[in-house]
Amino acid sequence: MPAPDLRPELIALLPRLRRFARALCGNAHDADDLVQTTVERALKHAGQLRPDSQLAGWTFGIVRNAWIDEQRARGRRTRLFAPAESGEHVADATHGSQAELLAVQEALQRLPEEQRLAVALVLIEGLSYKEAAHIMEVPVGTLTSRLARGREALQELLT
Amino acid sequence: MNFDDETLMAYADGELDGTARAAVEAAMAADAALAERVARHHELRRRLQAAFEPVLTEPVPQRLLAGARGAGSAGNVIALKARAAPHWSWPQWGAIAASLVIGVLSGALLLRRGEGGPIVAVNGQMLAGGVLASALSNQLASAQPSDAVVQIGVSFRTRDGAYCRTFVLQDGQALAGLACHERGSWQLQVLAQSEPGRGGAYRPAGSSLPPAVARTLDTLIAGEPLDAAAEAAARTRNWSRGQ
Repeated sequence: MPAPDLRPELIALLPRLRRFARALCGNAHDADDLVQTTVERALKHAGQLRPDSQLAGWTFGIVRNAWIDEQRARGRRTRLFAPAESGEHVADATHGSQAELLAVQEALQRLPEEQRLAVALVLIEGLSYKEAAHIMEVPVGTLTSRLARGREALQELLT
Repeated sequence: MNFDDETLMAYADGELDGTARAAVEAAMAADAALAERVARHHELRRRLQAAFEPVLTEPVPQRLLAGARGAGSAGNVIALKARAAPHWSWPQWGAIAASLVIGVLSGALLLRRGEGGPIVAVNGQMLAGGVLASALSNQLASAQPSDAVVQIGVSFRTRDGAYCRTFVLQDGQALAGLACHERGSWQLQVLAQSEPGRGGAYRPAGSSLPPAVARTLDTLIAGEPLDAAAEAAARTRNWSRGQ
C-alpha cells in the first residue's frame, strides 16, 4: 500500500511544529533544524502512520524523539563548545512585551527535558494529558507529575 | 474540602470530569485561596502561550517548506564524499559544482581556485584553503575570538586515527562543515548552509551545526571529542595521526 501523501498537511502543520520545537530548543535556529529533521523523518516513515492516527500527534512524537537524539549527541560535544554566550534567544520585538517573552522562554529552558516536554505539549500546544502522555510514551500519571513539577518550577522562576 | 495541587492543575487544564469539576468549583466559591491557586495555573498557561504564540505567525523558512514538499535537504547540503570521486579533473568538478553547489555557496566562493579562497578544489577533492585552512590548523576552540571569521567547533578522531574538526565559516553567508586532516591538508567531508548569527553576533560553532554536519560528525567520530588539552596536543603534532 503506498504511503499517504502527507505533504499538504505537513506544510500546514509547520507553524505548530516550529512553535513546539522553539519551546524545546529555546532558539530559532536549533528549533528549525529540529523541524527540518522531523519533516525528513516524517516523509521517510509516512508508511508507519496508521490511518486512525492524528498527523499532529504522530509528528510531535517525531519532534520529541529527534530532540532527545540531538540532546544525547550534543551531550557528547558540549564539553568543547566555546563558552556559549547565552544571548541566544531570538525574539521578535514587535510582539508583546519582549522582556516578558524572554523571561518565560528562559524559564522554560531551565526545566529538565521531560518537564519541558510536558509543559510544551500541554500548556503551549494545548494537548490533552492523554495525547501528551502518548507522545512522551509514558503513562498519564507520569505525565501529570512531570507537568506538576514543571509548573511549580516555572511559578518559582517567574514570580 | 482540600484538593491537592495535581487535582487543581487538572481542573485548570480542563481534564476533570463533570463531578470532580463541580466539586472543585464549589470549593473555589467558598475558598478564595483555592480560587487563587487555580488562577495561578491559568495565568501560567496564558503567559506560556503568549510567549510562544508569535512563532505561529512568523514566516516559515523556505528550507522547511521545501523539505515538507519532499524536496529534501539536497538543496543546501553537499555530501562531499559522495560527489567528489578522487580522479575527477577540475573541469568535471567545475561542472558538478555549477550544477549542485551554486546557489548554496554563492558560487564564487567555491570557484575561486587556487590560492586565497577558503575552499579549493584539487584533483576532485575539496580542501580547506586560506583562512579556513589556517584556522583548522591553528585555532583552538577553547581559545578563539568570538568574532573570528572561522569558528572551530568540535575536534575528534576517527576510527582510523585521523583528526577531524567542525567549523563555521562566515563568508557572506555562514557555512558549516567538517574537515579531516589527511596527507597534510584538510579535506572537507560535508558542507552545509548555516544561518548566520543574528545582529552580527557570531554563534558558538558547535551549537549551530546543521543536521547534515551533525550526522557526519556522529558517523565519523570514534569515542569522545577531544578536550581542550588533547586539542592543543594534536595541534602541536600538526594533526598527524602519530603511531
